[in-house]
Formats: sequence, C-alpha cells, structure tokens
Amino acid sequence: MPASALLVSVIIVPLLGAVLTPVVGGRTGKASGPWAFGVMLVTSAIALALIVHVANVGPFSAYLGGWEPPYGIELRFDEFSASTAVICLLGTLAILFSFRYAEKELPTERIRYYYTLLLLNLTGMIGFVVTGDLFNLFVFMEILSLSGYALVAVSGEHTAEMAAFKYLIMGAVSSLMVLFAIGLLYALTGSLNMADISVRLAGAAKAPAMLAVAALTVGFMVKAALFPLHIWLPDAHAIAPSPVSAVLSGLVVKTGLLGMIRVYQIYYGAKVLDLSSLNMVLVWLGAISIVMGAFFAIFQEDIKMMLAYSTISNIGYIIMGLGLASQYGVIGATVHIFNHALIKATLFLGAGAIIYRTGYRNLTDLRGIGRSMPLTTAAISIGAISIVGMPPTAGFLCKWYIALGAVEAGHPIFGFALVFGALFIFVYYIRMVNTFYFLEPVHPEILEVKEAPLSMLVPVLILAALCLVMGVLGRIPISFIEPAVIRMLAPLGG
Amino acid sequence: MEVVDIRPILAPVLSFACAGLVFFMGKNTFWRAFWSLSAAATKLIVVFSMLPGTLRGTVYVFKLLDFTPGIGLGFRADALGMFFAIVSSTLWLITTVYAIGYMKGEHAQVRFFGFFALCVSATVGIAFAENLLTLFLFYETLTICTYPLVIHEETPEAMKAGRKYLTYTLLGGAFVLLGSVMTYSMAGTLTLSKPGILSLSSGVTALSWLFAALVIGFGVKAAIMPLHGWLPSAMVAPTPVSALLHAVAVVKAGAFGLLRVFYNVFGVAVLREMPIVDWLAYLAVFTILAGSFIAIFQDNFKRRLAYSTISQLSYIVLGATLLTPFGATAAIAHIANQAFAKITMFFVAGSVQRTTGKTQIHELAGIGYRMPWTMAAFTVAALSFVGMPLFAGFVSKWYLSLGAFEAGKPWFAVVMVASSLLNAAYWLPVVYLAYFKAPPGTVLRIEEAHPLLLWPTLICAAYVIMLGLTTQVPGLPFSLAQAAVRFVFGM
Repeated sequence: MPASALLVSVIIVPLLGAVLTPVVGGRTGKASGPWAFGVMLVTSAIALALIVHVANVGPFSAYLGGWEPPYGIELRFDEFSASTAVICLLGTLAILFSFRYAEKELPTERIRYYYTLLLLNLTGMIGFVVTGDLFNLFVFMEILSLSGYALVAVSGEHTAEMAAFKYLIMGAVSSLMVLFAIGLLYALTGSLNMADISVRLAGAAKAPAMLAVAALTVGFMVKAALFPLHIWLPDAHAIAPSPVSAVLSGLVVKTGLLGMIRVYQIYYGAKVLDLSSLNMVLVWLGAISIVMGAFFAIFQEDIKMMLAYSTISNIGYIIMGLGLASQYGVIGATVHIFNHALIKATLFLGAGAIIYRTGYRNLTDLRGIGRSMPLTTAAISIGAISIVGMPPTAGFLCKWYIALGAVEAGHPIFGFALVFGALFIFVYYIRMVNTFYFLEPVHPEILEVKEAPLSMLVPVLILAALCLVMGVLGRIPISFIEPAVIRMLAPLGG
Repeated sequence: MEVVDIRPILAPVLSFACAGLVFFMGKNTFWRAFWSLSAAATKLIVVFSMLPGTLRGTVYVFKLLDFTPGIGLGFRADALGMFFAIVSSTLWLITTVYAIGYMKGEHAQVRFFGFFALCVSATVGIAFAENLLTLFLFYETLTICTYPLVIHEETPEAMKAGRKYLTYTLLGGAFVLLGSVMTYSMAGTLTLSKPGILSLSSGVTALSWLFAALVIGFGVKAAIMPLHGWLPSAMVAPTPVSALLHAVAVVKAGAFGLLRVFYNVFGVAVLREMPIVDWLAYLAVFTILAGSFIAIFQDNFKRRLAYSTISQLSYIVLGATLLTPFGATAAIAHIANQAFAKITMFFVAGSVQRTTGKTQIHELAGIGYRMPWTMAAFTVAALSFVGMPLFAGFVSKWYLSLGAFEAGKPWFAVVMVASSLLNAAYWLPVVYLAYFKAPPGTVLRIEEAHPLLLWPTLICAAYVIMLGLTTQVPGLPFSLAQAAVRFVFGM
C-alpha cells in the first residue's frame, strides 16, 4: 500500500472501528472489548509502518480526495506525528486493561459505548497529530475533547459528572479560543493549510497575528493544563476510570502541547513575530507549574489525585523545554511528551489495578499492599523512579536535556529550578513507596488481596519495562526527533 | 595503555545478579547467606583479577551504550578507581560475614540482604564510572538502595532518620546533576579519563559556581560541615549498615566523587588558579576540629563514632585541596586507612551491643576483661586514629603534613597535631575505661562475641596494623595510590 493510503487509513480504521463498536458489541457489550482491541492492533501496525517510512524518507503528505493544498485537506506525517505510535500503544493497552474494569464497574448497557468513546478519543488524537490543516486540527480536537468529557462521566457517579462538567466548561472555552485564532489566521492569510499559512503570514499585519498566537497559546495551555489553567485536571483525571485516566493524563493533555508545537512551526517559519517574550512567559509558567504541581501533590491522600497533580509538574517540564527554544530544550521537551505518556500510564494503570483489587484509593488504607501485589507495586515503583528522573529510566532524558537546554539558552537558573523541582516530586513518590512496602497495614485484609488479573498486569508490566527500555535506549527517540527540531528552530538561528 | 575488557562492568553486574537472587531465594537462610556472600566474593575476585594489569599501568575500559547521543554508560578501571574498588570490595566481604552474624533473628532479612548486596554493585559502579553521568547514576542508586537499610527498624525514629537521610542525599544528588549539566555545557564531554577536562577559558567565576555545585553535591555524602546532619541521625540503622554507611560505601562515595571532581573534572592546574579551593580547605579544617570537639561530648558509642567519621573524612578533603602530590597521596590513602580503622570500631560497637546490650560509653567500664579480643581490636583502631606510628592513621597524617609543607601552608600540619590530640582525648578514655576501671563487686569472666562477629573485627584490626607497618599490604597496594597521583600530576 502506498504511504499516502496508509496515512489516510490510520485515521479511518479506528474511526470505522468506533462507529461499528456498538453494533459488534451487541446488547451485552461482551464482544466490544476484544473488537476495540483488534481495531487498535491494526491501527498500531499501520502507525508502525508510517514511522518506519518517515524515518527513511522524511515527512510526507496525503491529500484527501486528491485535492492539493491550499484547497484540499492535507494529512502530513512528520517526526512529531510519530506520537501516533505512543497513542496506539497506550490505547491498545488501556483497552486491554479495561476488559476486567468495564465488566466490574460499568452498567452492562454502557460497556459498548465506553469502548466506542475510547476509540473515538484515540481517533481524535491520531487525527490531531497527523493533520496538516488547521481547521481539520480543530475538528479532531473537538472529537477528542467531547469523547474525553463523556469518558470522565462514564461511571455515572455524581462526582464524576461534576468533574466532567468542570472539564467541559474549561475545554469549551479553550476550544473557542482556538477556533477564534483559526478564524483570525484565515482572515489574515486566506488559507487553512498550516505550511501555507506559515508562508503567507510572513508579510501579515503584526497585531492580529499576535492576537492569534495569544489565543492559540491560551487555548492549548488549557488543554495541556499548564498552571494556572490546570484547575479542571486533578478532578477529571482522578475521578475518571483508571484506564481513561491513563489515556487522559498520558495522551490527551499532550495534544495541547503538540498543538503548541504546530503553532511554533507556523510562527517560527513565518518570522512575523518575535516570540521570545511569549517563550519567557511560558518558561516561567513551566517552572511555576513544576513546583506548584509537586506542592499540591504532597498533600494528596488519594493515590490518583497525587498522580494527577504530578501530571501538572511534568507538563511544566515540557512547556519549559519548549519555551527555552534551544535545541537541547526542545528535544528534551518533545521526547518527554512520549516518555511521560509511558510513565504516567504505568502509574495510573498500576494504581487502577490496586484500586480494582482492594477498593481503597487512599494511601493510608493501602499500607502494606506491596506484600500482596508485588508485581504491580514493583511496576509502580519503576514508574515512580522514572518520573522522578533517575537515570537510566525514561524520565531522566528529559531532565538532562531540558537542563542542558536551560544552560544553552543562557538561563541556568531554570535548570536549577527543574532539578530541584524534581526533588519535590521525589518527596511524594517516596511517600507512596513507603506506603507500599515499609508501613504496617491499617487493614489486615489488604495482605490477603490477590495479584492483579492478567489482563491488567500485562499492560502495566509492559509499560514499566518500556520506562526502563526508553531510558537505556534513549538515543533512539532523540536521534529520531532531532532533525525535526533542527528544522523547526532553523529560522530562529538564521 | 587502554585495553577494552569486560571486567569493569562484570564486577557490578555480577554482584547485581547475585543481589537479585537474594531477593528471589532469600526466604531460605542458607541461600540468602550464600548469594549475599557470592555477591561480595564475585566482585572481589573480578576486581582483584584486574589488579596485576592495573599495576603494570593498563587501564581497562568498557563502553556499554550511549543512552543519549554522546553520553552514556561507560566503565573504566584506572588506578584511583581500582584503589576504591579494592577497599570497598574487601571490606564488603568482611561486612557481609559480620552482618550474617549480627542480623540473626531480625525481621525482613530478605529485604535487608537484598539491598545490602545491591549496594555492593552500586559502589563498585561508582569506582569504575568512566564519566560523570555514570558516576551520578550509581551515586543515586546507592542513595536509593541504602534507604531501606537505614529505615530497617521501621520505628518512627528510623523513618524520621530515613527522611533526613534522603533529604540530604537527594539534594546532594540534584547538585551533582546540575554540576554535570554545567560541566557538559562548558567542556562538551563528561569523561573522567583525563587529568582535567575544564579549562580556564570558561572564566574563573563560572568555574567557581560549578566547583561549588559539585562540591556541595558530593560533600553531602562526604559529610563536610554544614552538610553532615544526616550522618549522626542515620545511626539508628543496624550496626553493619552504619559500618557500611560510614566506612565503606556512602561516605567514601562522596569522598571519591570529590577526588574525581578535583583530579579528573577540574585538574590540578585549573584549581590552582581558583581561590574558592582555599575556602574549601578552611571548611575542611573547621570540620576536622569541630567534628572532634562534638565527639568528645557524645556518650552514645555510635554517635561518637559518627562525629569521629565526620572529622576524619575531612582529612581526605583537606589532602585534596592542598593540590600537591603528597597531599593527594594522603587523600587517596586515607580512603583505605580511615575505612579499615572505622569499620573495626563499628564492629566493636556492634559486638558489644549484641553481646552485652551496652550502647553508652560510660557503661563500658571493665569491658576489656569480658571481651579481651574485641577490645584489643578497638585499641588498635583508636591508636590509628590518634596517629601513632606503626598504625594506618599515621601514614595519612604523615603525608598530609608533608603535603602541607610542600604547598607552603605549614599551619595545616599544626591542624594535624591538634586533631591527633583531640582524637586522643575521646578515644583513649574509652580504652582506659575498658581496661583499668573494673566495676567493683562483679565477677568478671570472659564472654566474647560470636565468632561471626569477632573474626571480621580482628581481620580489620590486622589490616590497620598492616597498612601502618608497611603500607604495602598484600592486595591493597599503596603503589595504586601513587600511580593515581602520578597520573593526576602528570609525573
């Protein structure tokens, strides 16, 4: 199959899969889980083929209906789009993990819709990262956001509905901002194709261009939950079902960041504005996010709440790296987009397995769980070490590169903030590990709990292993993304 | 001459594998002991097999992989690294034997011996690290693996000490990471295979900041005042762990890291131009004297040992800051000299506690009659600290004083004398108490420690005498230290 056909099918396959899920699943929804799993396996295979292709020949495009841009919709697969692989991997594992979860927690009639929403959400993200058209980007963003709101509320509990509502309000405002900016850019340039906009923007008026970039930044930062726009995140991520939390925290917030990268690609190329003051604001907000996220996490009793706040810190890392706009910094940030997805999914799915078995979610109640669920807790511990950034785990790379980027950009103080922010994060992960292994159980029955079922354990262990592998083989993602970052930053240097 | 050889990595990896087996088969007492000893012994054998080559001037290197382009895991067994590896692996074998005797009947032994063995691999990884990043990796691993040992008792007091320990050491680790980042951006490399990778062209101010970051980072574990706070609190750990923390692994990892910073990151030529080094020397002098003063007033045996450790470690720092060959010789040799003497004392403290239940110094009256061999070993170690000729401590003090004169700073030799007096003031009364003050009315009979506790103590005491007598102990060549010094000073 030619590469362009593959590129189209990477969106069409999960989309069709999602639409067909309620039909295949039937009234009991029994078949819908395996069906979704199969769909994601096929999608993963396509994504893998695409990545091999992009590594060999560089970025390539597909034109929908044969209409060339700027008239038709362009799908463009570049190195940043390779996050499709992470989306597929995490999606597949989250669906596998959901088998037992859905059976136990969801009303039977909702099971098939749960998988439909999950597939739609993944489709939205895949579309978001592979599209080359700005309006198309917005459409996919809405697909993933709307399915995201519904997924948070899927359990039907009152608190879940409240959290979903809060998420919906914030999300809707941010979508509005993005749409507004897209309208501005269309008015300025008469085009919706991103590469085309970048070319035409060069001679555009400064003020509307500035307004557009501001609206886009704020819109995407809400999606990415950067401090102080993070308030929707902890509730939504903690209350959602664990596999959904993994997808939301690992992937959905990242779409905000990938959106930001697209904005940079447009504006750096156009050279219409000097973004350095915006970047400085982002670096500061990133630094504050790191510290505030860690600070709030320390006081959480609920294990998933803690993980949710930790996401805010990690988004801070990534934003800081992007804002530094130095080669090391941006490489570190983009690689951490991938790595954090793996790490956070390990943690959320691990926590989910523990909650599934014990019914407890407070740290105090979970004391001693390390003795009865040794494999799950070992995986969580690897995730914890990884997110703190110990070498040679996946989390270390980002810390190293972003700190180098800070020194490279002439702001070593942010390297300082980053390294010491990480210590803050260590504090609450140590608390978690202490709870698992070193403290006497409050509930004696916790020692009688069985290890997680296989369909939950396997995804968690695969992800934990990847946390280590991606650290040891860190040079592979880095040398993969490097050309894209150099291309993106080239207009700045020249 | 550099030779690619798998042994520098084999040493940590083999003991790592054995540690894994302790976790898997540790429920059974025999297998736990077997794999713990195997971890220590295999490491010892691998390290010693490299010794003849190192003495001939061969450097074994093994580059494992790059985990980021340009920087990766690399292992390199040079003279300085070999010296530290030999000291730590010799002591580790002895300590493991002691720990098996000491920990009988304790809870959570699988965890204890598992992490104990993990520390083995981390320490040798530090010794053989080819670059700062690898060093940092094992430095942090050591921190994490010692934490379960520090909180072994799981009492609130132990948990508190564990928290304090982690706070200090992780902060230190963060500084090391920060320093590594700055080094990489200044020098473009992190290798530790050269006598200095930085140059004065980076500017003395920037270099001083970097120096401060790295010294704070490694100084936490080397317990330079005011970064020493974790060390006395960590005394709640079981005695073999204290021995391990204080004599072999943790503090020495800090001291060794400092030596690497001095000799392989900055290089002597660059440091001579930096006034900040003198300030570190003054801090070291302060630590030597203040540590001893505080030690005098400690009645708890292990706390007195802790402050003595703090004081002794700064000998290494002071020796390094002199930036002369004799000073460097003293700094490197003191790693071994302090280690053997201090571990002897810890073994004694542990044996006394296990045999008689006594933990305070004032309770030790007449203990020399009950435990003559143990207290003989203690006396040897005490005399070494005082700096009597024929004992290991003398060698360090001699070279350190020579170095002070060589550097044109004779007042540091005066500090050595003062420190000797202070050491005498807090160790000799214990000897006096043990032998000359039998409590009246009690029948004294010999009641020695268990052989598994006694023999390691005696072997370490024997090492202290050997190191002092000849400096050429079989298997622990002084010439390694000299070779390292020749490399550093380009002689």
